[in-house]
Amino acid sequence: MDWGYINARMRGMKSRLLDHHTLDNLVLQPDLDSLESELEKTPYREDLIEARGRYAGMPAIEHALRNNFVRTFRKVLDFSKEKEALLYIRIFLHRWDVQNIKTVLRGKNIHITNEEILECIVPAGELDEVTLTELVRQPDMKAVIDLLATWRIPYATPLTSAFPEFAKNGDLGMLECALDRYYYEDALLAVKDKSRNNAMIRDILSLEVDVVNIKTALRMIRDGVAPDEARKFLLPGGRELDAKKLDRLLALHTIEDALAMLANTRYRFLSGIPEEVLRAQKISVIEKKLERYLVQEGVRLFLGDPLSVASLIGYFWAKYNEITNIRVISRCKTADFSIENLREELVYV
Amino acid sequence: MVGWEVPIGAAIAFSFGAIGTGWAQSRIGAAGAGAIAEKPETAGTIIILEAIPETLVILGFVVAAMIILMVK
Repeated sequence: MDWGYINARMRGMKSRLLDHHTLDNLVLQPDLDSLESELEKTPYREDLIEARGRYAGMPAIEHALRNNFVRTFRKVLDFSKEKEALLYIRIFLHRWDVQNIKTVLRGKNIHITNEEILECIVPAGELDEVTLTELVRQPDMKAVIDLLATWRIPYATPLTSAFPEFAKNGDLGMLECALDRYYYEDALLAVKDKSRNNAMIRDILSLEVDVVNIKTALRMIRDGVAPDEARKFLLPGGRELDAKKLDRLLALHTIEDALAMLANTRYRFLSGIPEEVLRAQKISVIEKKLERYLVQEGVRLFLGDPLSVASLIGYFWAKYNEITNIRVISRCKTADFSIENLREELVYV
Repeated sequence: MVGWEVPIGAAIAFSFGAIGTGWAQSRIGAAGAGAIAEKPETAGTIIILEAIPETLVILGFVVAAMIILMVK
């Protein structure tokens, strides 16, 4: 397969991502209105003008970012016609399908309105807006899963298997974990053959699995959940933390011990967490560090071999990070957040 | 009197140059098309880059011509 065309387009698209200086300029804006004016000078202009026709303030920015995100991924899907590229793109896009199904299920679980659920959906995956709207229209969670099964959408399989347990204890985490497990197992299976590109995708997927597992394990340790119970929420296929290491991690009693154990792995950067954070058991600080690491590793792929899938995956991560950064900035502009604190929240890559 | 080796030699010199050029231009062309799709202002540079491997086939042609004209 000739990756030259895709790589050139990805590099062209990446050159339009906001640089450090532009992002810093957004951070320095005093309020939401000036932030919107600054955003109009960036490639988000069209989406922002379109969104302003229907919304104002924060919702307008949210919709503009969402539309831009969806449009970007559809564009990449449209110009990548070769089978191998489509396989890798779909792996990345399927995570939005999983995320959207989770959003619908969460919404149905807490009985919010269909409009509110639709506001939170990002139809960047293979399930388009029409399909997702139909899912949202279903009266309850069971009906959502049944409709997925009727349409033969593969995510129905893990949900149907996990539903009885959910019905018994009402823990939505069981369904979400089943979806995640299905996604990662399916994705890792799709790239099991030995090839350079497959290895690259396997590597980043396994890293994600590790990050998800560490976050889950730390929460379980903090909440004092029994290892046997906690094990149900872990995902297989991690890069550095296999089942044995995860078992040892879950057997620990404090966050400090868990981080000390992780000091022997590639996640040793977590050892630098301040003591007061650990004493207060603020998992969110650790989670943020892990997410930052994951994004940085994903974007770093862009520097890899230009005649491989590297630039494609690197771009996806960079775009995702940019959208996240702008969302953080706009949210912080509506709250009373200092510029120094805001800068700390952003991930510069 | 020239034997069959001379035209065969000239053909090899020219054909390998042409194959090499074709291969290089296909790769540059694909990447160039991608670059122009995203940044139309790069079209001029891409056309120049696309033409660079032509030197290879011209060199092959010159060598082939030299073989035919000079080997007697």
